[in-house]
Amino acid sequence: MTKNTKVLLAGSTIIVAILILLIAATPGASGTEIPLAQAVTNPEQYKDRYVNTEGFLVEESIDWRADEIELRFNLVDEDGNTLSVFYDRVRPDNFSEGVIVLLGGYIQSDGVFYAERVQTRCPSSYEGEKPEEGYDPAVHQETQGNNN
Amino acid sequence: MHIIGNLSIYLALALSVYALIIFILGIYKQDQRLVDSGKAATLAVFILTSIAMFLMLILLGTSQFQFEYVASYTSTDLPLVYKLAALWAGNSGSLLLWTFFLTMYTVMVAYSKKLKNNPMVPYISSILLGNTIFFYIILGFVTKPFGLLDFVPQEGRGLNPMLQDPGMILHPVTLYLGYVGFAVPFAFAITALILKTTDAFWLRMTRRWTIIAWCFLTLGNVIGGWWAYLELGWGGYWAWDPVENASFMPWLTATAYLHSVMIQERKGMLKVWNISLIILTYALTIFGTFLVRSGVLTSVHAFGDTNIGSYFLIFLALVVIFSLYVLMSRYHLLKQDNGQFESLLSKESSFLVNNLILVGGTFAVFWGTIFPLVSEAVRGYKVTVGIPFFNAVMSPILLGLIFVMAICPLIAWQRSTVKNLRDNFLVPAIISIVIAGLLVGLGMRAAYPILAYGLISFMLLTHLLEIYRGINARRKVTKEAYPIALYRLMVRNRRRYGGYIIHFGIGLMAIGIVGSAFDQETMQTVPKGETIEIQDYVLTYEYLAQRREGVNDVVFANIHVQKGGKDIGYIQPERLFFANWEEPHTQVAVHSTLREDLYVVLSGWESDERATFVIKVNPLVQWVWIGSYVLVIGSIFAVWPGKYGNITPRYKGPKRKVS
Repeated sequence: MTKNTKVLLAGSTIIVAILILLIAATPGASGTEIPLAQAVTNPEQYKDRYVNTEGFLVEESIDWRADEIELRFNLVDEDGNTLSVFYDRVRPDNFSEGVIVLLGGYIQSDGVFYAERVQTRCPSSYEGEKPEEGYDPAVHQETQGNNN
Repeated sequence: MHIIGNLSIYLALALSVYALIIFILGIYKQDQRLVDSGKAATLAVFILTSIAMFLMLILLGTSQFQFEYVASYTSTDLPLVYKLAALWAGNSGSLLLWTFFLTMYTVMVAYSKKLKNNPMVPYISSILLGNTIFFYIILGFVTKPFGLLDFVPQEGRGLNPMLQDPGMILHPVTLYLGYVGFAVPFAFAITALILKTTDAFWLRMTRRWTIIAWCFLTLGNVIGGWWAYLELGWGGYWAWDPVENASFMPWLTATAYLHSVMIQERKGMLKVWNISLIILTYALTIFGTFLVRSGVLTSVHAFGDTNIGSYFLIFLALVVIFSLYVLMSRYHLLKQDNGQFESLLSKESSFLVNNLILVGGTFAVFWGTIFPLVSEAVRGYKVTVGIPFFNAVMSPILLGLIFVMAICPLIAWQRSTVKNLRDNFLVPAIISIVIAGLLVGLGMRAAYPILAYGLISFMLLTHLLEIYRGINARRKVTKEAYPIALYRLMVRNRRRYGGYIIHFGIGLMAIGIVGSAFDQETMQTVPKGETIEIQDYVLTYEYLAQRREGVNDVVFANIHVQKGGKDIGYIQPERLFFANWEEPHTQVAVHSTLREDLYVVLSGWESDERATFVIKVNPLVQWVWIGSYVLVIGSIFAVWPGKYGNITPRYKGPKRKVS
């Protein structure tokens, strides 16, 4: 056996080890990414599976109980499917009407999504919308005030 | 103004096409005048790009809202520095910055003194120009930086508050300098192949480039992590998000490349491997840009679904096909006079191990990143792998790397003996085991950190021992004092000791990375005057107050902190309300020590001033930043032009009439 072959063998061992690591780690850490409609219409299908989904936040549905640190809210998709979400952590930044919320967690048999991860997609840093015509800062300030 | 801007972009596109054609013609006809004309055109392209970029900066700085880009990313009340930083807040501006760096590098190569009369220059310039043309096609036809609105808004949309942070000034610039920097060694590699030179000339010429690009890429990643840590309020600096992975993968392959080139320089081995690595690194920087801007993967760092990603995909395909074609057509040449490994236990083979682990790590990150796409193609729905996957896979890889890093510097070239190993490793190994034992004695029970800290100490110690030996060997001859011997030893071999300093930095970062995995967290809503306890910290929420900062309102909580009964002072987590942005923004309060960070987020409050806090204790995070400073110092040390060993390598490739 030449020295090159030996080194090659040792190298292959490393590659195989990393591949085994990959294959071993994949199933336990995976989640299924489904559209919101799937989560609403077929909750049983995803029982006991870690699910990722996303939808638009309905601001008036937000129910925040500060003392218990419990957050309940609804997400909708374009077709009006509504998913109720429960989260036992604080609300993320940018948690306001129409923002896209990314969820990770489990759907319970009552159809409620018990989220372990709630993130808002940070408002696009690339490709902003065009500014509205006749933009009036005063109006902006006003809506701003109501939000607070 | 927009005429100047657009004109400079279209003119630059035309000139780069001209330069590419004239270079190829010049090479084909072996006519120096044509090549010189190409070089002049390259310089003109750079000047035009500079004009376009500085024009954009002026427009941003003076709030010319009739320009769509200016109106989209700035507002009048924005501090000047962020008005200017908005250059890279959007697609077209950031690509303009990218193009600026690319054309700057092209000019630096085309007019390089060291490459005077070198026939590689027109080839390298042509390859870089090919890249420039792609970016100008995007700038000229897909996302135009100087687009006008058909009305003049009174006020712009403003810059996203998340981007109003020192991180915004540094992170994109350093990352781009790194990304674009790899275009240069890539162009050199392809040129060497085209010219059928198989020696290490191109490696030696690009050594500094690569180290500098690598250093910027590292900085870009670390600053990004630091920014996320302080800005997003998630309490972490790395989340294995696709966008983060996109810039981590080229870092891994570039790190592998920096090491494996040393084997080719010394032993003439691994030629195909090195060229493949630099092609891979460059391809990954483009792939990363594609991932970041296409929106094919769900990322929290959101980027709109624009069609710009598909252009990058096409460009990526072109780059890969072209490079592989050149590589394959020269494959037989590279296989000739390839060296042999002389021993299983040698520096060469340990470098190879390091390379395999790094490339394996790249594949692991790649696999985890594109898994949703693959599974969607195979099974019809996206399966995502999350942070646990990456942690499970990358932790052993990190440990393996640290182990190789520990033994590599002390293994001799060609062949090592058992005695040689014992001399080198016995003392560091014993001390490391003692350190690991101490950690167990101090109450640490988890196997992974004990193993990790044992290995990190082993690595740091073998490096210290190596330096100590060098000093002693030197002192035997010169009888110098220790500090002088250390200094002279290091400046006489900058690359080697710069590398050791970088290893040291990585070791310090690893201390932080392993430690920060053991964070603790509590979340509570408390009325005024109440306390929250976490570990031996006692935090007293004293009051909530409001102040004004320019046009923005800041609501902050005043919190008194005690640790183990001792007074530490006050910290003030904040929420900022922007006049020009609907959403308030979290400003984390961090009390940092070398031991741990106390990390406090003011999440919200009720009408009776009860406030909700998220409080974390993150151990050892500071070491991640300290390690990166050390790493930068090491990189600067390695590339610093000293008087020793600073010889321009001699070109031995084929002679041509044009250069």
